[in-house]
Amino acid sequence: MATVSQKSKFGDVFWPIVAWIIALIFFFPIFWLIFTSFKTDADAVKPEFLFSFTPTLENYLNMTENYDYWRFAVNSVITSSFATLFALVVGVPAAYAMAFNPSRHTKDILMWMLSTKMLPAAAVLYPMTFLTKNFLGIFDTHFLVILVLCLINLPIVIWMLFTYFKEIPKEIIEASKMDGVTTWGEIKDILIPLAWGGVASTALLTFIFCWNEAYWTVRLTTTEAATLSKLIEGNRAPEGLFFGRLSAVSTAAVGPIIVLGWFCQKQLVRGLTFGAVK
Amino acid sequence: MSKRTLPRLLQTPAVILLLLWMLVPLSMTLYFSFIRYVLNSLRKPEWTTPALSNWRGFGNYEYVLYNAKDFWFAVQNSVFIVSSILILTVILGLALAMLVNRSFPGRGIVRVLLISPFFIMPAVNAVLWINMILDPVLGLNGIAVSGINEIVAGLKNFPVIGAFFSMWPEIVPMSFRATQTSAYAVIIMVTWQWTPFAVLIFMTSLQSEDESQKEAAILDGANAWSRFRNLTVPHLARPIAIVVMIQSIFHLSLYAEIEIVSRGNGNKNLPYLIGEFTSNNIGAASATGIFAVILANIVAIFLLRMVGKNMMD
Repeated sequence: MATVSQKSKFGDVFWPIVAWIIALIFFFPIFWLIFTSFKTDADAVKPEFLFSFTPTLENYLNMTENYDYWRFAVNSVITSSFATLFALVVGVPAAYAMAFNPSRHTKDILMWMLSTKMLPAAAVLYPMTFLTKNFLGIFDTHFLVILVLCLINLPIVIWMLFTYFKEIPKEIIEASKMDGVTTWGEIKDILIPLAWGGVASTALLTFIFCWNEAYWTVRLTTTEAATLSKLIEGNRAPEGLFFGRLSAVSTAAVGPIIVLGWFCQKQLVRGLTFGAVK
Repeated sequence: MSKRTLPRLLQTPAVILLLLWMLVPLSMTLYFSFIRYVLNSLRKPEWTTPALSNWRGFGNYEYVLYNAKDFWFAVQNSVFIVSSILILTVILGLALAMLVNRSFPGRGIVRVLLISPFFIMPAVNAVLWINMILDPVLGLNGIAVSGINEIVAGLKNFPVIGAFFSMWPEIVPMSFRATQTSAYAVIIMVTWQWTPFAVLIFMTSLQSEDESQKEAAILDGANAWSRFRNLTVPHLARPIAIVVMIQSIFHLSLYAEIEIVSRGNGNKNLPYLIGEFTSNNIGAASATGIFAVILANIVAIFLLRMVGKNMMD
């Protein structure tokens, strides 16, 4: 592109401006959400206060009172963290084995794992409700939410880790074996330092997916284990009466994740394309 | 322990967990789809517990196909929503990726701003768009339209141009809560959320494009369009296929947005229809579920053929 853009001075100025304008348009709804969260509910629906108003923190201060925000937030943190942890505990050994000791079935197993992602969740909605409510008695528990979040993300976790592990040169490990390094030493001194970055970004991305999950967390909970998705879904404000407070609680629900997301843009590509685009 | 045992052992938990997760609920759905099973029935209380004696054969499937008026509408709508989103995100994603794929001041910030919508949780996305932006009275949509109307009304009092503006009709803001328009609302909000994903992938792929090839083409006198047509497009074919595949997987099971935007107004896709059936008619819900699985599989097989082969490289 460099050679091309040097040719036209006009394009050098014009296209960046277009890019900036489009980026601002894309960000505008998020800006508007944050902006509205500082208005009172009454001001938020009045056109005369569209841009000029007295900012207030009232919506954030009353979040607990209005929505019981922290209970849902704590549930989201607990379920997303443990689901991520368990997915890694199951996924790391599996991906390790597939990357370093592939058999002739490895490709098929990986493809099959991916295919479980294509099963439409709605198709098994009732069996899941039936099993967990009438049979196992774990409906609306943290355990269930953690289990389901872990399972739906496991294929992505294994795929991502697999692509990272595959990039670690096997020669290093073979060489260390020649030098008489023990298995534990191999893991501690060679594998962990080399794989750490991949595991960390997989964890980050999995956490984001868990946090934003909006089907099972809504359908398999009522009050006890309900997450932020359920909170927002239950307060959708059809009459637009509570724009201010709804914006505040929404901002609080997505804010931390957007910031986390900025840190793992690159990994996002790899994670979501199952390593097909790097 | 032989050389093969340990790797196998390490994979076993993951394989077993996913196998259970896939087989148990799905075989239950399959079973329920062949029996009469409702949650509440005064007339036939025996239908409220799942049992083989309530066998209905393909009755539920026939009911869904021929008698449930919403089924074909839901299929059509699913396909309409998914394909609209796909077309829009791919076109917008390509355009934006090309735009950002050059260095200019503040490029890092532009990237961060562009990618942000992707991390919004679906529930917040839907609530934000349908209430604060698209609402015909209280949202920016309504406010903007009434602002325009006021300006036009003011201009009508001016001499000369007033005559021109007095011919203008008052604009009515579009409501996004009707059956068809709420599908548009869903398309708008999901496109907004997923365009960043397409941009990211296309950008990553553009960066790996062979620059020397391009420069050679310039020396050969190829113009910008033919460079784009003959070098960039073939290079982007694979990422486009991947964007299409992954989005299809996610959007065929779109739920939260439909639930929030269209509850009760008749707009529905397959997952939403299944949810409606689940409130009473489990047999029909399960048969619809099997149809959804079949639809997803057709799409998946088709798409995996396209991209799957070289995914492992």
